[in-house]
Amino acid sequence: MTALALTLALLLVPVVTPGPPPAHQPAPANPIGTAVLGFKQRVADYVKVHNDAESKVPKLSETNDPAKVHDREAALGAMIKSLRTGAKEGAVFGADFRVILEREVRKDFRSRSAADRKALIHELPAKMTIAVNTTYPTELPLATFPARLLQKLPDLPPELEYRIVGHHIVLRDVTANVVVDVARNVVPTIPS
Amino acid sequence: MSTRPFRHRRVPVPGPVLLLTLLLGAVPFVGVPEPTAAQTAARPAAAKPATTAGATIAPHAEKSVRFAVIGDTGTGGRQQYEVGERLTASHAVFPFDFVLMLGDNIYGGERPQDFIKKFELPYKALLDLKVPFYASLGNHDDPNQRFYKPFNMNGERYYTFEKGGVRFFALDSNYMDQAQQDWITKELSSSKNEWKIAFFHHPLYSSGERHGSEVDLRSVLEPLFLEHRVSVVFSGHEHFYERLKPQKGITYFTSGGGAKLREGNIRVGSAMTAKGFDTDRSYMLVEIADKTLYFQTLSRTGALIDSGQVEVMPPPPPKQPSDAAVR
Repeated sequence: MTALALTLALLLVPVVTPGPPPAHQPAPANPIGTAVLGFKQRVADYVKVHNDAESKVPKLSETNDPAKVHDREAALGAMIKSLRTGAKEGAVFGADFRVILEREVRKDFRSRSAADRKALIHELPAKMTIAVNTTYPTELPLATFPARLLQKLPDLPPELEYRIVGHHIVLRDVTANVVVDVARNVVPTIPS
Repeated sequence: MSTRPFRHRRVPVPGPVLLLTLLLGAVPFVGVPEPTAAQTAARPAAAKPATTAGATIAPHAEKSVRFAVIGDTGTGGRQQYEVGERLTASHAVFPFDFVLMLGDNIYGGERPQDFIKKFELPYKALLDLKVPFYASLGNHDDPNQRFYKPFNMNGERYYTFEKGGVRFFALDSNYMDQAQQDWITKELSSSKNEWKIAFFHHPLYSSGERHGSEVDLRSVLEPLFLEHRVSVVFSGHEHFYERLKPQKGITYFTSGGGAKLREGNIRVGSAMTAKGFDTDRSYMLVEIADKTLYFQTLSRTGALIDSGQVEVMPPPPPKQPSDAAVR
């Protein structure tokens, strides 16, 4: 009995032979860090386009003539749109960063009181059509971006800003007043 | 710091007559002393107003920092023009040196003609007198307004300037990003001025039913204001006038009724309200002399809505030496 058990045990023991050393595997990257870095790189790429456009339109300094401010904004916007012809929605936010963005926004909204959420939704322009590489409608207010939420998102260069429009977050070119990208339906529905 | 009712120099007027006057806003110069020779001499001929100055109170001191405060103005509507006329009339009695704009400077479209209709024409008399306007951005304003020279923003969304030893900080409360927080922290830290005044669009405290307090923004700005001893904050956004009871020692004013009105929007019985006015448009006149800020709030019809004084935030108490240091 003992001999049989010993035989079985020996048969079941896998044969271990020393193999070649494992190839060096890079440590798995933090997916959040990767997504944020990717987003920042795409933002930097956009700023290059912005700067290129800036160099092709007259410079703007302070002026008493509001027409000059208006015309310059329009000219810069038109130049950026032409340089980004064919720009696709989501190209700057990116699919991986969009997931992080949505998670942060929803978490932020959950942390707010009902009164705070109500005050916030009053500010939001709702029935507004937005599309990438179009002018942000100037007739509508630019809803305030919640300061605490802003602290949780990656900083943007001065050329760009986040804005909330309805349930979407928009990346807006500040001086050109152009919608650079849209992340749709990342802002939760707020019960009235 | 305290906010005390200001005992302004009224001429004796029977109670019912005064009440009727304030309601109608029709009788000029109630409670206004005759201008001194110096004030009269300083008054340019072009300042002759189309309307009377209503109940405007004359300045308290010869050498003082004087300014007006208007908010949520840029409608281009009749009421904005009427407030503009009142403001000009007040300037004749209370010759303020500049005007703070609390945002929503241009509502709706921002075509060149909008700047004329919604800013240049309503305040033409003051602009002709070379009274500078310092604007902050509201949620209806295109940030490119910073390049419009008459708003004196130096091409910046947020900026600071000094007048007679008083340091003003104009913030962009629409977008309080890290860059702006770093900037305001640096500017407040380096300011040696006894008087520090901040102005921006969104009120940190408000009894408005529609918007209410901007709690989010408050969590970012209030600690900085307290640490660096900002005495007074002016905001708009709510289309009415409200003076808040001092919050942690800071006096907050909401003056967002420069053209639009959200009638009856101040929550009845709000514990924060020291004085509220939500039945007509309004504007403010402010004077800082030494350690005292005198304010008066007037309606579109010239009635005196509120007046009083605020003392500058006292310096922090000197640090006591610790036990270890004593030893």
